[in-house]
Amino acid sequence: MNDRDFMISVGGISLAFLIYWFAGHPYFVTERLVMFLTIMIFSGTLMFYIRKARRGEDIFLRDIPGLKAIEEAVGRSTEMGKPVLYVPGIMDMDQVETVAGVIVLGHVSKMTARYETTLNVPVSRAIVMKAAQEACKESYLMEGRPDMFHDDMVHYLTDEQFAFAAGVNGIMVREKPAACLYMGKFYAESLILAETGNSIGAIQIAGTASQAQIPFFVTACDYTLIGEEFFAASAYLSQRPELIGGVKGQDMIKVIVIATILGGVLLRLLNDIGLINFNILQFLKVT
Amino acid sequence: MKYISDLILKMSSVDRRWIFLVIALSVILPLYFPLGLPIRPTPTTQQVYDTIDALPHGSKILVSCEYGPSTKPEIHPMVLSVLRHLFKNEHKVYVTCLWPDGQFLASEALDLVGRDEYGLTYGEDYVLLGFRPGNEAVVKGIVSDIRKLYTIDAKGTKVTEIPMMNGVNRFEDFDFLFSASAGYPGTIEWVQYAADPTNVPMSTGTTSIQVNEVMPYVAAGQVQGILAGMPGAAEYEALIGVPGIGTSGMDAQSIAHLVIVLFIVLGNVGYLIERNRSKKY
Amino acid sequence: MLWKRHIPILIVAVIGSLTLFGWFIDEPNIKAFVNDDATQWFDILASFAIFLGGFNLLKMQLQKVLRKKQGWQYSLFAIGGFILAIIAGFFYKGNPDVAWGTHVTADGTLFKWIFMYIFAPLGATMFALLAFFVASASYRAFRIRNFEATLLLVSGIIIMIGRVPLGSSISSWFILYLLVLIGGIAINSVFKNKQYTAIFVSVGIIIVTSAGSSMGWPLDQPGIFYLPHLQEWIYMNPNVAGTRSIMMGIGLGIFATSIRYILGIEKSYIGE
Repeated sequence: MNDRDFMISVGGISLAFLIYWFAGHPYFVTERLVMFLTIMIFSGTLMFYIRKARRGEDIFLRDIPGLKAIEEAVGRSTEMGKPVLYVPGIMDMDQVETVAGVIVLGHVSKMTARYETTLNVPVSRAIVMKAAQEACKESYLMEGRPDMFHDDMVHYLTDEQFAFAAGVNGIMVREKPAACLYMGKFYAESLILAETGNSIGAIQIAGTASQAQIPFFVTACDYTLIGEEFFAASAYLSQRPELIGGVKGQDMIKVIVIATILGGVLLRLLNDIGLINFNILQFLKVT
Repeated sequence: MKYISDLILKMSSVDRRWIFLVIALSVILPLYFPLGLPIRPTPTTQQVYDTIDALPHGSKILVSCEYGPSTKPEIHPMVLSVLRHLFKNEHKVYVTCLWPDGQFLASEALDLVGRDEYGLTYGEDYVLLGFRPGNEAVVKGIVSDIRKLYTIDAKGTKVTEIPMMNGVNRFEDFDFLFSASAGYPGTIEWVQYAADPTNVPMSTGTTSIQVNEVMPYVAAGQVQGILAGMPGAAEYEALIGVPGIGTSGMDAQSIAHLVIVLFIVLGNVGYLIERNRSKKY
Repeated sequence: MLWKRHIPILIVAVIGSLTLFGWFIDEPNIKAFVNDDATQWFDILASFAIFLGGFNLLKMQLQKVLRKKQGWQYSLFAIGGFILAIIAGFFYKGNPDVAWGTHVTADGTLFKWIFMYIFAPLGATMFALLAFFVASASYRAFRIRNFEATLLLVSGIIIMIGRVPLGSSISSWFILYLLVLIGGIAINSVFKNKQYTAIFVSVGIIIVTSAGSSMGWPLDQPGIFYLPHLQEWIYMNPNVAGTRSIMMGIGLGIFATSIRYILGIEKSYIGE
């Protein structure tokens, strides 16, 4: 779709919504209009930068040491003749972090296929097991090494949090992987995994958006992808323009949010001192 | 001086198993030889107490237990204390669980406090509705229609046959929510889908590690106070005047924290000595 | 191509859009789908998927035993535990007076016995490991390499001590004396003059002692040096500010990732 067609579609959708709104907006929850418009603006911003990236415009992304280190970690495992351990979190595919973890697994499995390194992926949920198996299978196929893939490289342990931690610890202590990658949603077991990995001398790279666990990973791992860096990992590893454009779009959305916060503070101040009659908090409230 | 520096350097690179041994002793010894350190409630704990104390007698209180055996030492004491406070003020307590493990522990707490200590009647003074799978969907279900979600309670009795369920159809029929949460689903889901949209007041008790995540909601006034881990449980026990497991664990936690700080300081002193020496040479 | 690519992308786009925009639509059927059915569909899928995981686990453990791989004896425990849980859940109650279903929490049943005497102690033990690992990780990693690391260390110590009863028993005046001594060490390392250090420490001690005597040595005054007040301030102010900003960033990351899936830009779930 070229720019002209895209702008015509956007204009058409906006016009249709305006007609729907002035026609009485049946079935629309009016109290949530601000949230609806926010989603439209944010989505529009994302799409604008994705299209910009697809057109070939150069978008700067700063280096993330943790992502650069993934290839080094896999290389280290290859040299030492030891496996790579990858843990895609302990939650199910309904969590976006788990989805991001499986995406990164796809890239890591491409590296392990290329370098002919053993990959061990213990999982905590059956649906994640299937998704991870598919991701690994496709990666090995794309690298031209379908013979190296086997279903058991991604295997289910247990749903139970600490039983899973005990199982992964056992794998670490027995097989002594040279690289341990923790990418996904974690809870209290994060430090147990990271400390055990540290005790076997493995290089450890973690990526999570679980706020409470980030400090533990930062303390115990060699590299940590914090929050958004983890979600941006697929863009960095694939270098696909649309994904890089998405990362840029996210940053621009953050600028919009910061501007809204500053503007909101100013408006609230003016409202509190009686200069204006407009309560920004009431306007932004979502029910 | 050099001898002391060398000793500190040696101690700052000690095998971690010695650290494990010292931590174990620092936790075990105060349990056998209590120090009796005074417990002073923090403002956030006081807020929970004041909010519950201000509820009119006979209010309908929803208590949600989402914790398991691993987090029992932190959360169970606060659940017991809150139940004691609620039963003392003659409130009606309805207990749900978003975690399957929570049902076992909730049952244990209700038997101990409701049945044994206060001699209350199940079905008239308190009821255990039990666990339902679905995470946020359970919260949303309770908000919209609790009877669609809970047709029977944890003992298999039909909800229509439980006297205290009369007039309770949705979340807004409750006067207060207390969420005892150790993770997901838990406090944040209750705030997002239940308490904030319906303006039903809520308080929470969480593990110490989760306090960070919940504190923005407390600061914004969406959650009325928070019991932060075992210290929060001990503070609440002090406020209601019934010391329990939380209080007995505080001496051990205090000494363990002090030992960890001393280890960190020792490690840093060794680091500075090593850095100075390498600069010198 | 149609089944493996276009149809999965269409399903994701339709269901994702419906769930997203369904929140704005006040129509009972759509609201029921968004609030109840969509998540319940996932729970039903996940419940059936447990069979896949269970069979995978059994297959791997049985292979280990049959092929006598290294550590095959431990696999016997895994298989035994699996079978015991199935028996306790579906075949043997242990208490004949209890109905099936409620037998999982009723007293006297095998399932409850397994929960109370095997599962609960094991879970508590694994969680307790964290205490030891936190100590060893902190000891190894917390080094004052730069200003930020020093700030992190100091605030961590304030919170660790201020949070427990020991912290509320430490007087503000003790902290003030400690600060005077630390100030003396800093003065000595900057100026390397013993006279300056001695003057600073002496004057500091005199000021703190005079102030304390005049105020009657209250435990929690001045409040700024009382550890519980300090830790409460750190929790409610810089900590909340940092947490909020990280939450916003994570929320945006989740939003962007989800939109990429709905719009079909991210297609890793079909292997692209």
